[in-house]
Amino acid sequence: MNGIGLKRGKTFLAQASVLKRIIALIIDLLIVNIIILFPFKRIFEGIIPETESFSKTMDFLNSNSGYSASITAILVLAAFLTILYFMVFEKKLQQSPGKMLFNLYVKSQTKDLKYWQLFVRSMFLIPLFPFVLLWLIDPIVMFFTKENQRLSEILSKTKVVEKYQI
Amino acid sequence: MRKQKNKWWKAIKIIIGLTILSFFISILISLFTEDGIETLNGNVALIDITGIIIAEKNTGFLFEDVTSSEEINKLIRKANRNDRVKAMIFKINSPGGSAVASEEIANEIKKTNKTTVAWIREVGTSGAYWIASSADHIVANRMSITGSIGVIASYLGFSGFLEEYNVTYERLVSGNLKDIGSPFKDLTEEERALFESSLASIHAYFVEDIAKNRDLKKEDVEKIATGLFYIGTEAKQLGLVDELGSREEVINYVERQIGEEADIVRYKKEKGFFSALSQAMNEKSFYIGKGLGNSFITQAKFPNRIGIST
Repeated sequence: MNGIGLKRGKTFLAQASVLKRIIALIIDLLIVNIIILFPFKRIFEGIIPETESFSKTMDFLNSNSGYSASITAILVLAAFLTILYFMVFEKKLQQSPGKMLFNLYVKSQTKDLKYWQLFVRSMFLIPLFPFVLLWLIDPIVMFFTKENQRLSEILSKTKVVEKYQI
Repeated sequence: MRKQKNKWWKAIKIIIGLTILSFFISILISLFTEDGIETLNGNVALIDITGIIIAEKNTGFLFEDVTSSEEINKLIRKANRNDRVKAMIFKINSPGGSAVASEEIANEIKKTNKTTVAWIREVGTSGAYWIASSADHIVANRMSITGSIGVIASYLGFSGFLEEYNVTYERLVSGNLKDIGSPFKDLTEEERALFESSLASIHAYFVEDIAKNRDLKKEDVEKIATGLFYIGTEAKQLGLVDELGSREEVINYVERQIGEEADIVRYKKEKGFFSALSQAMNEKSFYIGKGLGNSFITQAKFPNRIGIST
């Protein structure tokens, strides 16, 4: 508890509300969209052809493997920057801006938070197989575990807690 | 309260840091993607042919502007495969180069099923003109330098220089003509005749192709194929170019042919680190020392090239 600077008697940590966690994630993704993904927007506009429909764009990308590979490479890079966002915040402050608004903290179930733990808990952001499966598995597992831990959190031995003040 | 304020301040610092990092990385990516991937939203492909024309990439000097037929043909095929592209514009600013490379590009242009236009800017001579002639239409500025239909294989001979410094050329060959064209010895009469015969053959192919491409009589082309360059107005009179003008005339022609508004998309050749650096330096230094230095480099590097050196 002392790791996140709590004063005994005035505050305590408890299981975080799932709704707050979801809203915090949405806020974080909005920030990521502005600070990380926005600079990449121009690159994507430049390389993805304008077609009459989404399916035609997909057809074009499927038939031009070179473009698909380039787009995937850029997406992966953007994803790693997004992971870096969560890693830096959670290492330095134990919370991301979204979590800061709801007094949510990331806590290690072992000792201090390690970089590998922070990476593993955010790897659902990698837009590649099998990581994309985590978009489905993570929330399902979250609803069926006692402490509402995502699969990535179980693997990284971390959990999200909420700081309550009395 | 102060702790909370400190935390937000730290968060803002991290956000600023990540924003800068993200911008920096996206700029780096866009530098590479602009070279490797072209936007596909246009209906007219623009392909630049600049500098010395060579067959394979990575054979140019560090800061020398070269165009390889390998790269250009790749771009032509790419544009040709794209159904959205209705026409191709070849923006030429080149003194020529390798005969083989020039013919390779010219042949690839002829194979396309799109409207093709050659737009000669400052220079479009020799091999570069060979390429231009294979397009459906040629537009040049009235002051553009073009023509120069001829073959050159001159090189610097060092035999006298070596002799002056008492350096000898130890000739060790198994075939009598193995060291033909060596700069360290004088050409024999036989070697000179053989060289000139080869040059005459290349010249004949050149003339034949120009005549065919431009729908001119072979004899007429032979008369003007002295290696002399012509400015745009002269070239127009001789039938070497179709129209005098610039970008506007090129676009007007294309729009007339394809029957729709031209939306130009640039097909760029891939650039390595050194060529990107070279381009940046060229832009900044504005051809400093290009005149004399380049002519020496070109002569030494491409003794068998077609064209005049700039």
